[in-house]
Amino acid sequence: MTATAVDRPSPGELLRADRAGRRFGDVVAVEDVTMSVGAGEVVGLLGANGAGKTTLIRMLLGLIATSAGEVALLGGPPDRRRRTRLGYVPQGLGLYGDLTVRENLTFSAQAYGAATPRLPEALRASAGRLVAELPLGLQRQLAFACALAHDPVVLVLDEPTSGVDALARAALWDTIHEQAERGVGVLVTTHAMQEAAQCDRLLLMSQARLVAHGSETDIIGSTTAVAVRTDEWARAFAVLTESGQPAMLAGRDVRVADADADRVRQVLSDAGVRAEVVAVPATIEERMRVLAGA
Amino acid sequence: MRAMIVKEFRELSRDRRTLAMLIGMPLLLLVIFGYAANFRVPTVTAAAVGPGASRLAATLPSSFFDVTRIEPSGTRADAERLLKDNTVDVAIVTGRQPALALVDGSNLFASQAIVSVLNTFGDKISSQILYNPDLKTSWVMVPAIIGLILTFIGTIVTSIGLVRERETGTLEQLAVMPIRPSTVILGKISPYFLVASLDMVVITGLGMLLFSVPFNGNAFVFALGAALFLFVVLGLGVLISTISQTAGQAIQTAFMFLLPQILLSGMIFPLDAMAAGVRWIGYLLPLTYFTMISQGVMLRGASMASLWLPFLMLAVMAVVVFSGATLRFRRDLAPSRHHRHVAAEADADADAEPHAGPGPAPTTDAGRSG
Amino acid sequence: MTYAVRSAVVRFGDTLALDDVTLEVEPGSVVAVVGGDGAGKTTLLRGLVGRIRLEHGEVDAPSAHQIGYLPATAGSWPALTVAQNMDFVGGVYGLSGTTLSARRDELLRRAALLDVVDRPASQLSGGMRRKLGFAMAMLHDPQLLVLDEPSTGVDPVSRIDLWRLVSEAAAAGAAVVMSTTYLDEAERAATLLALDDGRMLASGTRADVLRSFDGVVARTTSPHRRDWAWRRGREFHEYWPGEAAPRDATTLVPDLEDVVIALSLLRRHRHGLAS
Repeated sequence: MTATAVDRPSPGELLRADRAGRRFGDVVAVEDVTMSVGAGEVVGLLGANGAGKTTLIRMLLGLIATSAGEVALLGGPPDRRRRTRLGYVPQGLGLYGDLTVRENLTFSAQAYGAATPRLPEALRASAGRLVAELPLGLQRQLAFACALAHDPVVLVLDEPTSGVDALARAALWDTIHEQAERGVGVLVTTHAMQEAAQCDRLLLMSQARLVAHGSETDIIGSTTAVAVRTDEWARAFAVLTESGQPAMLAGRDVRVADADADRVRQVLSDAGVRAEVVAVPATIEERMRVLAGA
Repeated sequence: MRAMIVKEFRELSRDRRTLAMLIGMPLLLLVIFGYAANFRVPTVTAAAVGPGASRLAATLPSSFFDVTRIEPSGTRADAERLLKDNTVDVAIVTGRQPALALVDGSNLFASQAIVSVLNTFGDKISSQILYNPDLKTSWVMVPAIIGLILTFIGTIVTSIGLVRERETGTLEQLAVMPIRPSTVILGKISPYFLVASLDMVVITGLGMLLFSVPFNGNAFVFALGAALFLFVVLGLGVLISTISQTAGQAIQTAFMFLLPQILLSGMIFPLDAMAAGVRWIGYLLPLTYFTMISQGVMLRGASMASLWLPFLMLAVMAVVVFSGATLRFRRDLAPSRHHRHVAAEADADADAEPHAGPGPAPTTDAGRSG
Repeated sequence: MTYAVRSAVVRFGDTLALDDVTLEVEPGSVVAVVGGDGAGKTTLLRGLVGRIRLEHGEVDAPSAHQIGYLPATAGSWPALTVAQNMDFVGGVYGLSGTTLSARRDELLRRAALLDVVDRPASQLSGGMRRKLGFAMAMLHDPQLLVLDEPSTGVDPVSRIDLWRLVSEAAAAGAAVVMSTTYLDEAERAATLLALDDGRMLASGTRADVLRSFDGVVARTTSPHRRDWAWRRGREFHEYWPGEAAPRDATTLVPDLEDVVIALSLLRRHRHGLAS
């Protein structure tokens, strides 16, 4: 297989879903999703499990057909020829544990008909080691290197940084941003909300639909939370939980998502708990919790 | 395409178990079928009983008959006892015309060989086949199959059950719970022991019903032999689980234990007909001894006393394998209590403790030196 | 009663898995152990619950009856239903009859698992399975609750639910130790312990850690020393340990992520591991 030349499409057209939908029997996995990823963009796809992220990605990759609407990869249907310009890192990494680092990279490159690239610096010392023996951080770097071996113009990453430490995560994001600066369009799913800040743009899916998009502030919208500062957090927590408020611990404070500050104040003062109650912006997770329903 | 093939070979070269199956298995099969796969029994053990015993023994061709007993004062009853106890394959009773050769039909291939040799004697010796008069294959196979089924449950099913616990990580949880390691092992194994016992009863009953296989001996002796044998194979199952990480590996390993048992236990090919080296492998396999017991009890009605050797061998194997398995398994389970202070357990004490107190002092790595 | 592992050293063959690590947890509080794969989190937690032997150091822990433990892997028996899993664990800890069923139903209600009591654990979503594991670890109302990566692979929505359950356990007086790779989760705990390669990077409350952080982090579009910089969106953050940053640098108040990355970099440079 050789890489057939695909015209570099205009920005905004690397990946595109147009009112795309997919049903499995009676189950609606994705409904009416319109989105796109342009050249040089890092787009984060957020959502709970079952929200439809994976189905959407599989449609964009051409691994399953749409049952409504259209998807496009590099301006056309996602077929095998177009997929040669795509790099994909699945959640399970797709590496061979019984092969060495170098052998994995060679195999990936050859599968795309590309020359085997140089190993990234961090992996050079481990070139001859079996992948199964590598720490997860290095395995993830290798999965990146394999996905990038054939110089793709689109990169799709499914939870690329899950399970690794802060430094390894930083290294992976370095790679992602370097690719974006070279003009590669990146679609990345993540469960780590702190990584939202790494993306240029966010898409939030909930119950098969795209419910919000834009910056972190756009995603959170008008959802707020209430922070309760008190010396007796355990009592404050118990009282609030008792009254049906979804309270949780935050450091030495208590936090209630999507609650009314006055009501919280009332509940606490009725129980005689002395506390400072402030309305604060919600986090993305809290917003997602609200969307998913209590 | 080429990349795919190269990748596959590289992966294969690092998968030791699969390699062992690819290379070891053909070698094993070649050796077994070359040296062991032989239905023709070269020599049999014989006894001469009765007044003309010595004279008769002299006339028997020594290339085939290995006369180990000559009892001039013996009777037909003595001859039958020798067969029942599996002391000899054939006992010839003299003092009558023609002499009567009693043949042990529970030893299928030996008795076939004996009958064909005796036919050359014409009218001088008549023969009678005991325990399996029609020389039915099913009669000798059913008792052996019972053992095979027990082996299957003991090794494959048990090891999968245990490995699954390791695979899902729940073994870790059991280890931390307040259960003794021995309780975990017994609790895991007892159900398989019971199921295997039930299976054994069903198979034995079905074998008797469908193939009219007799049950001439003592059911207690049979049950005792089966229980000993079960301990051995369950122990093997536990051992296999301690050297396997996944169910797939456990099945592969158990299969490598199972195949030699089928081929070398005397169940299909008679042990007597095997080359010495291969036969000794057969003598190391538990199924060999269970088959001796089950065939002996069911067909010949053999007594416990006459089966002392297989019982002893199984007992020794049960102790060795089971303690080895338990020790290895315990190592995965038993938490170390070294350097541990188990805090006061009483709830009252815990409640009385004030909850306040300084948190751990902040430290950073900044002051550390290499 | 403070539960603790103090000055722990653990070696696996030639590998030093824990090097002088101390973890302390008070009743009614949550400690988060943060680090990546291979940092030593699981080893430390296994040391605390008595699964491995320390080469050096001390462990203060209650008896097995007073420990609830959720291992990093499954935490439940896949072929058993939700209710059967709970009943098995309850039986092991000597609970039975109405005590067991009341406690079981209460925990399943709080974990929002009452609708799936008859479903085999293998058919639960990842988030539900971790919540079940949590409920099982909590069933006997232990004094010490040890959770190994309860939220890894769990989506953000279920993670909020799990955190609420953890909060409830701590509010009820349990000492909770949980490991995580998410720094935002560590930020919600009362104290945190950051591990890197078996060593302590930082420990204490969030304020303690930030206060004792040595050096400054600057925001820039073109870092002076690429080895000491990491991305935050389109910008870089650059660490200046101890020494003064250039005058034109725009310094910022580092968050925990910045602090942990900076300290990891520092450790690697000191040990000559930097690439």
